Amino acid sequence: MNSIPPNEKTHGIELPQPTAGPMICAFGFTLMAAGIVTNWIVAVVGLTALLAGAVDWFRNANPDSLEMVAPPAREKPTPIVPRPGSVDHLLGDSSHRARIPMEIHRYRDGMIGGAIGGVVMAIFASLWGLIAHGSLWYAVNLLAGTLRSGVADLSMEELAAFSTEGLIVGIIIQAVMAITVGLLYGVVLPLVPRAPLVFAAIIVPLMWSGLTWAAVSVVNPALGDHVEWIWFIASQVVYGVTTGWWIIRSEKIGTMQNWHYVDRIGLETQRTGGNS
Amino acid sequence: MSALQPPAAAGPVPFLSRLHEWVATVDHKKLGTMYIVCGIIYLIVAGLEATMMRWQLAWSGMEVLTPAEFNRLFTMHGTTMVFFVGMPILLGSANYLVPLMIGARDLAFPRLNAFSFWLFFFGSLLLYFSYFGGQGLYGMGSAPDVGWFAYAPLTERTFSRGHSTDYWILGIFVAGIGSTATAVNFIATILGMRCRGMSLMKMPLLAWIMLVDCVLILVALPPLAAAQILLLFDRQLGAHFFDTQAGGSALLWQNLFWFFGHPEVYILILPGFAFVTEIIPVFSRKVIFGYPLMVAATVAIGFISVGVWVHHMFVVGLSPMLNAIFMGSTMLVGVPTGIKMFNWVATMIGGRIRFDTPMLYATGFLCQFLLGGLTGIFLATVPFDWQVSDSYFVVGHFHYVLFGGLVFAIFAAVYYWFPKVSGRMMNETLGKWQFWLLVIGFNITFGAMHVSGFLGMPRRVYTYHADRGWDFWNLLTSLGVIVQILGFSLFALNLVHSLFRGRKAGDDPWDAWTLEWSTTSPPPPHNFDEDPIVHSRRPLWDLKHPDDPDWKYE
Repeated sequence: MNSIPPNEKTHGIELPQPTAGPMICAFGFTLMAAGIVTNWIVAVVGLTALLAGAVDWFRNANPDSLEMVAPPAREKPTPIVPRPGSVDHLLGDSSHRARIPMEIHRYRDGMIGGAIGGVVMAIFASLWGLIAHGSLWYAVNLLAGTLRSGVADLSMEELAAFSTEGLIVGIIIQAVMAITVGLLYGVVLPLVPRAPLVFAAIIVPLMWSGLTWAAVSVVNPALGDHVEWIWFIASQVVYGVTTGWWIIRSEKIGTMQNWHYVDRIGLETQRTGGNS
Repeated sequence: MSALQPPAAAGPVPFLSRLHEWVATVDHKKLGTMYIVCGIIYLIVAGLEATMMRWQLAWSGMEVLTPAEFNRLFTMHGTTMVFFVGMPILLGSANYLVPLMIGARDLAFPRLNAFSFWLFFFGSLLLYFSYFGGQGLYGMGSAPDVGWFAYAPLTERTFSRGHSTDYWILGIFVAGIGSTATAVNFIATILGMRCRGMSLMKMPLLAWIMLVDCVLILVALPPLAAAQILLLFDRQLGAHFFDTQAGGSALLWQNLFWFFGHPEVYILILPGFAFVTEIIPVFSRKVIFGYPLMVAATVAIGFISVGVWVHHMFVVGLSPMLNAIFMGSTMLVGVPTGIKMFNWVATMIGGRIRFDTPMLYATGFLCQFLLGGLTGIFLATVPFDWQVSDSYFVVGHFHYVLFGGLVFAIFAAVYYWFPKVSGRMMNETLGKWQFWLLVIGFNITFGAMHVSGFLGMPRRVYTYHADRGWDFWNLLTSLGVIVQILGFSLFALNLVHSLFRGRKAGDDPWDAWTLEWSTTSPPPPHNFDEDPIVHSRRPLWDLKHPDDPDWKYE
C-alpha cells in the first residue's frame, strides 16, 4: 500500500460542510405522512419544512458544493512497521499459500470404497436378520420400508418373507447411500488431520446412528420399533471400517492448485518457463 | 469551494454546539454511529416487548397481558427488530466501515446519507407514536396489532379500526425511502470511489457483500412501498385492492409483501456474513479461503433470494407445480450459503486461531446459523412445511437465523470494530461471560421453541390450555430469556465501562489487514491523511510482510 499526499493548493482536505437541510427535509416529509392520519394542517407544516430543508440543501450543493477544510488531525496514525520473516508457513515450505489438503483421494476410490463397504454391510445386516429373526430378508425388507409405505404395519412373519419389490428397493437404497457416503468419505477424509480411520469407523457411524435414531423416532416411529439399535450401530461401524480402510489405503493425487494455468485449463501447448 | 475553517478547538464545547454538530453532520462515521446507537436503543425496546410476551406465555393461563396487548407486542417486536434494529445497525455499520475499507473520504452523496438517516429516525418515531395517536377518533386500539407482515384483509378498515395500521404503513414507508436512498448511495460509492489500485476483485469482501445487499434493497423495498400505498388507498380512499369482499385479493398482499419479505431476510443476514468474513481470517491468521467463490456465492444468493418468496405461502393453497418450483428454488439457496459455510471453516482449518471475543461470536454464528439454515431446508420441503407452518417451530427457526446468526454476527462486529470507533478496547472477560450467557440463554429459549412447535403450539397465541403438554417447553423458553437478559446487561455494562475506562486500543489492535486499521482510532473526519493506494486484498499485510506480499499470489 502506498499513498497520495493531499492537494497542495488547498493545504488541506475538503469535506462537505455540515447542514441541517437533510434533517429538516426528512422531518417535513414525515410530518406530511403523519398529516394523512392526523390533520391536514400537520401535512402543510410538513410541506413547509420539506421545502425549507430542500432550499437549504440545494444552496449547500449548488452551484458548487459548500465545503470546509478538515482540521488537521490531532494524532497521526502509528506507522506500520514491516516484520519480514515473521510469517508462519502453513506447510513449512514455499508452497505455504496452498489450499489444504494438497493431496486428495480420487473420487472414484471413494465411490468404489463405498460400494464395497455397502456390500460388506449388507452381508453383515443379513446375517443379523438370519441370527436374530431366522431370515436373510428381514434387514432388506426393513431398509425398503424407509421408502415403501405400509412396511411398518407388516407382521414379523411378513418382514421375514422374501419380497421382490422389497429386494429391489432395498438394493437401490443401499447402493445409492453406500456410494454417496463413500464419495463423501473420499472428499472429507483427507481433511481429517489425525486418525482418519477412527473418524470413518467410529465417529461418523455413531453420529449417523444418532441422527437416524432421532429422525426415525419422529418421522416414522412404527418403523423405528423394528430396528435393533445395537445391530444398527454395528452395521454402520462395519461399513465405516471397510470404506474408510479402502479409501485410506488408496493412492493420493495432488490437487491442481500448483499446476500452471495452461495445464489447468487443458491447453495442449509447449510452455517455456513459468511456475509449475 | 467556500473554504470554511471550523473554529479551533479550545476548552469544552457547549452542549448545544455538540448537539448541532451531530444533527447537522454529513460525516459517514457520525451518521453510522447514530444509526447503530438508535438500533441498540430499539433492540432494548424490542427485547422488552419480547420479555413481556415470554412472561405471559411462561405457563398456561397466565394473565399478564390481555389478548389485544399481546397482539400489539408481537407486531411491534417483529416490526422493530426487522426495520429498526436490523436495518439501522447493518446500514450504520456499513456507513462507518465501507468508506474506510475502500479508502474513500465519505459516501458519494453525504447529504443524501444524512437525509436517509433522518428518514429512518423519524419513520421509527412515527411508528411508535401510534401508541399515543393510533386510537384515532374511534378510541380503538393503539399500536399496530396486525403482525409484522400485516396480512390482508386483517388490515382493512373493517377489521383494523383507528389509525394504528396507518402508522405501521407510514412509519415503515418513510424509513423504507431512507433505506432505498442509502442503497443508491452505497452502490455509487462502492462502484465509483474506491482508492487507487482497488479493483473490484481486490475489494474487501465486506464491500462486495454490501454492494449485493444494496442491490437487493433496491429490488425488494419498492414493491413493499407500492403495496403499502395500495393499502393506504384501501384504508383512506376506499379502494379495494386487498378487500376480498369487494373483489380485492388478499393473496396479492402476500405476494407483494413476501416479494419484499424474503429478500429482506437476506438483506439482514448478508451484512452478518460480511462481518464474519472479515473477522474469521484475522483471528485464524490466514487469508480468506476462496475469495472469488465467496464473491460468486454472494451474487448467487442475491439472485436466488428474489425467487423464493412463495415458500412463505405454501399453506395458502397454491398449485402443486408452483409449490414444487419454489421448494426447489428455496433449497437452491442452500448451495451458495453452503459454499460460504465451507469457506469460513476452510479458512479456520490449519489456522492459528485466537479465540478473542469477536472470534467467539463469529464461531457461535457459524454453529447457530448452520442450525437455522438446516431447519430452513426442512421448512422448504412442502409436506414438512404443511405440518409445522405457523407453529413455534417456525419461530424457533427464524430466530436461529436472525438471532443466533445475525445478532451474534453483530456482536462479533461490535467487539471487533469498537476499538476503531472509540479508540478503546472492550473488556475481554466481560465479553466472554456475555458470550456464554447468550449462547446458553439463546439455545434454551429458541431450541425449546422447536419442540413446542413440533407439539403443535401455534405462534401468535396469547395463552394456551394446561392440557396441551406445552407448559414445560414454554417455561424453558421463558427461563432462557432471563439468562439472555443477564448477557445483554453485561454487554451494556461492558459498552459503557469500555467507552470511558477501556484500555487504549491503538490503531491496529488485532493485527488486521484492511485499510480501516491503517488510520487512527477513532479516525479523523477525513479518514486518511493521504489517499491510500493498494496492491492486494490485504494492503496492510503487504506493508507488514514485504517479503511475502499478497499481490504476488492474486
